[in-house]
Amino acid sequence: MTTNHSVHAVRGALTAAVLGAALPAAAETPPAKTAWGVADLQGTWNFATMTPLRRPRHLADKEFYTAEEVKKMEADAARGRAAWAQREYQSDPSQGDVDVGYDSVFLDFGTEYSGTLRTSLVVDPPNGQVPGLTRYALMRLAENREKWERRPRTPADRPPATRCLVGFNTGPPMSSGAYNNIMRVFQSPGYMAILNEMVNDHRVIPTDDSGHLPASVRLWKGDSRGRWEGDVLVVETRNFRAETNFNGSGPNMHLTERLTRIDADTLRYEYTVDDPDSFEGPWSTVQDFRATTDDVHEYACHEGNRAMHLMLAGARREERDGEEDQAGWLPTWFRGLPKKADLLRAWGEASE
Amino acid sequence: MVVVAGLLALGALVAGCQTPPAPAPAESAYVVPKTPDGAPDFNGIWQALGTAHWDLEHHAARQGPAPILGALGAIPAGRSVVAGGIIPYQEWAAAKRAENRVDWVKKDPAVKCYMPGIPRATYMPFPFQIVQTPSAIMVAYEFTSSTRVIHLDRPGTEAELPSWMGYSLGRFEGDELVVDVTSQVPDTWFDAAGNFHSDALRVTERYTRTGPNTLRYEATIDDPKVFTEPWKISMPLYRRLEPDAQILEFKCVEFAEYATYGHLYAEEPSPATGADEAEEEEEAR
Repeated sequence: MTTNHSVHAVRGALTAAVLGAALPAAAETPPAKTAWGVADLQGTWNFATMTPLRRPRHLADKEFYTAEEVKKMEADAARGRAAWAQREYQSDPSQGDVDVGYDSVFLDFGTEYSGTLRTSLVVDPPNGQVPGLTRYALMRLAENREKWERRPRTPADRPPATRCLVGFNTGPPMSSGAYNNIMRVFQSPGYMAILNEMVNDHRVIPTDDSGHLPASVRLWKGDSRGRWEGDVLVVETRNFRAETNFNGSGPNMHLTERLTRIDADTLRYEYTVDDPDSFEGPWSTVQDFRATTDDVHEYACHEGNRAMHLMLAGARREERDGEEDQAGWLPTWFRGLPKKADLLRAWGEASE
Repeated sequence: MVVVAGLLALGALVAGCQTPPAPAPAESAYVVPKTPDGAPDFNGIWQALGTAHWDLEHHAARQGPAPILGALGAIPAGRSVVAGGIIPYQEWAAAKRAENRVDWVKKDPAVKCYMPGIPRATYMPFPFQIVQTPSAIMVAYEFTSSTRVIHLDRPGTEAELPSWMGYSLGRFEGDELVVDVTSQVPDTWFDAAGNFHSDALRVTERYTRTGPNTLRYEATIDDPKVFTEPWKISMPLYRRLEPDAQILEFKCVEFAEYATYGHLYAEEPSPATGADEAEEEEEAR
């Protein structure tokens, strides 16, 4: 979880940057290079953002907000959240969203839009939309839905995130989620390492452009290899596991991340998803991560996973009680997944 | 030691006579390499050998808990890594350790793929990588992909919360890295032999380079609620020398779910026979 002490300072710095060149160069700019001469990307970075991945449809071709629009939206969001917290405070604490189970204190959706002022994180294609999913990808998602809405026989019937393996914002790629949107970057000669709070996991990435593991070695977080293109660290990741699902991606996703230190407070993070099995085209995003003075805390997800125990106990209890499986086990955040019957009907109509 | 001291004295004498000095013992002759910012360099992929992860104290080989694994599942013998050989338990705690050893598979938190804590993470039979920076050292352990940060730039601070891997404050004493580890949850064990601690645990680790590819690891365990006095373990750590050595993924949750929740399974999992892997390999060809 993060707080946002640095928001005002960052916003101030941004304003200064926009207003122009009269100001002296920022004194807090870090050394541009490490002692061994590569760009210094180190720091603790908050990647929570209110900027959506996909551009809201009503914005059509509008690529950028104005600074005034962003200011107003941020203020509106802050007011809305304060009102939500007030309602929670005044309401019966025993009831609420017992499916998702979080109250507003626990959530950290970010308090600001990306400093790029863009209306979506997706910059390519230029319409700000993630390209359409292939039939293969849609069918994978529909099969996930079928599995996850059924009563679990074993933990393998629940989503990887529920099992504390990967999911949401564990990365790669890093993407703003409901909480734990924070990572710390470490560098030593020949390596760049990322400690991501979500599931407390690390990626130690060789930066010598060494070869990938053979395709038979599949990893939950993929196999990452880095190389320097000038001051930009380019990280290529492949060899994902069959369960991989980043907005519909599959095991053959080829992910390219680009990390650039812009200034003391800003790490520019770009990624491209290339997965022809799953998407009708490649797509790319840009986001500016903010420096934070917060620590990455230990998120002992599996160690504290009472939910898995309760779900399995509940499932066995239903069976003992002779209850039918009502297919009511789908978590709220997966309700947008396609249904197999709908897909088959639509495809049948399309081919007629 | 007497011999070493004698040699050193002789060396000094001889040096006084301006003849070539006698060779010093290998360890002290080793010049510890430095990082670009001048600190002793601990970067690399390291691993303990030995059987401390099974049992810190002296132990003979014994049958493992999964007889189906045969010889591969048996627990190998080992010498104690504890100074003096024996862990100085208080009386009640010795009884509790004995109790832990009954049905230990159900009680050992590492069986469930829980983070092993410090010092156990160091000598699990998996490599770990040190990524050293001037202000902090990241240690990336392969076992359950757990991680800790050793802070070098905030002496005297305390953890906001207890955690499985604890709160680590490091400093250099000459060429040694000394790490004070506090605020560990009481839920971890030191090994698979029931050796345990309380929430009062304080661990002081010392890492010393002893050669290009070796470290000496020492950890002093202080827990006045459980032990009669502080005690110390020590062992060498070895650099993984394979040119393509890397920390791979061992996200063991999926392997530990049956051990953790098996009593709540609707069906027994089918054991891995290798058939699936063979099929996958065939497909990949």
